[in-house]
Amino acid sequence: MANDYALDELMVVEAARHIDDGDIVLVGTGLPFAASLFAQKSGAPHMCYVVETGPISPEVIPTPISVSDARVMYRAARLGSLVESLGGVLQRGMADVAFLGGAQIDQFANVNSTVIGDYDSPKVRFPGSGGANDLASHARKILIITRHEKRRFPAHCDYITSPGYIDRPDGRAKAGLPSAYPDIFVFTDLAVLAIDKSTGRLRVEKLMPGVSIEQVQENTGFELSPAPEVIGVDPPTPEDLRLLREEVDPNGVYLRGPE
Amino acid sequence: MGKQYGSKLMSVSEAVSRFVPDGATIGMGGQSIGRCSMAIAHEIVRQGKRDLTLVGCNLSLSMDIMVGAGLVKRTENGTGSLERFGTAFRWRYAIEQGLIEVDDYSHLGMASRFLAGSLGLPFMPSKSLLGTDILNKKSFDNGKPFEMIDNPWNPGEPVVLLPALTPDVSIIHAQKADEFGNVVIEGFTTQEPEMTKASKAVIVSCEELISTDEIRRNPDRTTIPYIFVDAVVEQPWGAYPTSVYRYYEHDEDHLRMYQAAARAGGEAYQEYLRKYIYDCETFDDHLELVGVTKLNELRRIMAGLV
Repeated sequence: MANDYALDELMVVEAARHIDDGDIVLVGTGLPFAASLFAQKSGAPHMCYVVETGPISPEVIPTPISVSDARVMYRAARLGSLVESLGGVLQRGMADVAFLGGAQIDQFANVNSTVIGDYDSPKVRFPGSGGANDLASHARKILIITRHEKRRFPAHCDYITSPGYIDRPDGRAKAGLPSAYPDIFVFTDLAVLAIDKSTGRLRVEKLMPGVSIEQVQENTGFELSPAPEVIGVDPPTPEDLRLLREEVDPNGVYLRGPE
Repeated sequence: MGKQYGSKLMSVSEAVSRFVPDGATIGMGGQSIGRCSMAIAHEIVRQGKRDLTLVGCNLSLSMDIMVGAGLVKRTENGTGSLERFGTAFRWRYAIEQGLIEVDDYSHLGMASRFLAGSLGLPFMPSKSLLGTDILNKKSFDNGKPFEMIDNPWNPGEPVVLLPALTPDVSIIHAQKADEFGNVVIEGFTTQEPEMTKASKAVIVSCEELISTDEIRRNPDRTTIPYIFVDAVVEQPWGAYPTSVYRYYEHDEDHLRMYQAAARAGGEAYQEYLRKYIYDCETFDDHLELVGVTKLNELRRIMAGLV
């Protein structure tokens, strides 16, 4: 049953396809660890994996669970500091790609990882920005990966932790962000969303196999317009699935196979 | 003025009683589940230091136990979490109940504040945080959390200025140090080089005490020279249950147990503090509870990762 797979698995494979060989990638914690490792082991063997705590260009061992994990330090070109990674590489303007997970993502691709409800008397407090604000501020291309649930996709975030297009097509430029018009992609188990630079809003670019645009809309808290031509996400190859299951996440830390 | 050149070797209880006063602002070493200064944090909890402000990039387990013990009035940080093991639950509870104040920054934002402090500058410019609510919501009560300026060399370009942060004392756990306080951190160093050099005092615990001759034969490996350091504590396993690169892996079972107690709160949490901290006279007593079999296993796992 080589073609039997979970959409979560394809979500990771599809996200990895957006990393080009040679890219310098600032990798955030969680699913981005798995997807970036998949990219390093498939289409982008020469990508430079950078982690905020200081590792630059490690040969990552499966399966890291923390930015302080020895698995993201193995055979690195350098183990440095946070100022070097987030300052000297990322803010310096050298990151081709920043890859983060998401708590709440709104129609302008702003991300909230700080608080649900009022900031001063929160309903739920999340961990906070971490390096995510820095990743979203400075990279030329921003990849966000998260499972598609309505509560994760509100029209407006309760709190903007990390900037998308803020509230308009030139929202980032007006705010003074150095990466003013980045490509932003959101990978979910239902679809690939991307920023339409003429509106600054997310739209549906691709659909996962067997998923309808109505289904994506039902699970999203704002109106999603389709791209002029919505295409299907290419299914994974047997080799993709082998790599993912045997070399990226052999113990099922992030992904379970098909039910 | 630098720290004097002489032996700074002392017990953790002496280091904490001398260099961590009530009301201190403490720079927190380590990140997430790596190299948190647990032995020093346990001692701070045992000595019941009060009204603490904890600062760092990611604040993790060492912060959560101090919040859980009721010793903390505010934190300034980028995250409160143990990553895969979840939010720092006592911290989260304390914020939701309005028991502590939090100043939110990004990790680079906090590291930039330490960098300013380490260079003797009043602030550091930043291009992070722009356009977000981190700049809109000011929970601060002690002055300006930031200032916006126009780049003098490129009019019309907004730049954020972040105030220097100079902790009263930083606590870190390193792989190696000599008795004078020359410190070698192996692996990632996160915000520690800047944070320690910005601090008025520094307490270092280490896995291994090494000779000054070894330091001086390999001075390019010294992460922090003695002029910044006040106390050196020899404490193998001093970051347990978090990991130390090249020495031991984090203890997943203990972290999960802690998180379960921290999430539950109440008596379950008090029982954790009692059993693993208050009823232990030293950190070695805490390690005794963990047992040598588990510790050996953690060493073996790390040996396979480096």
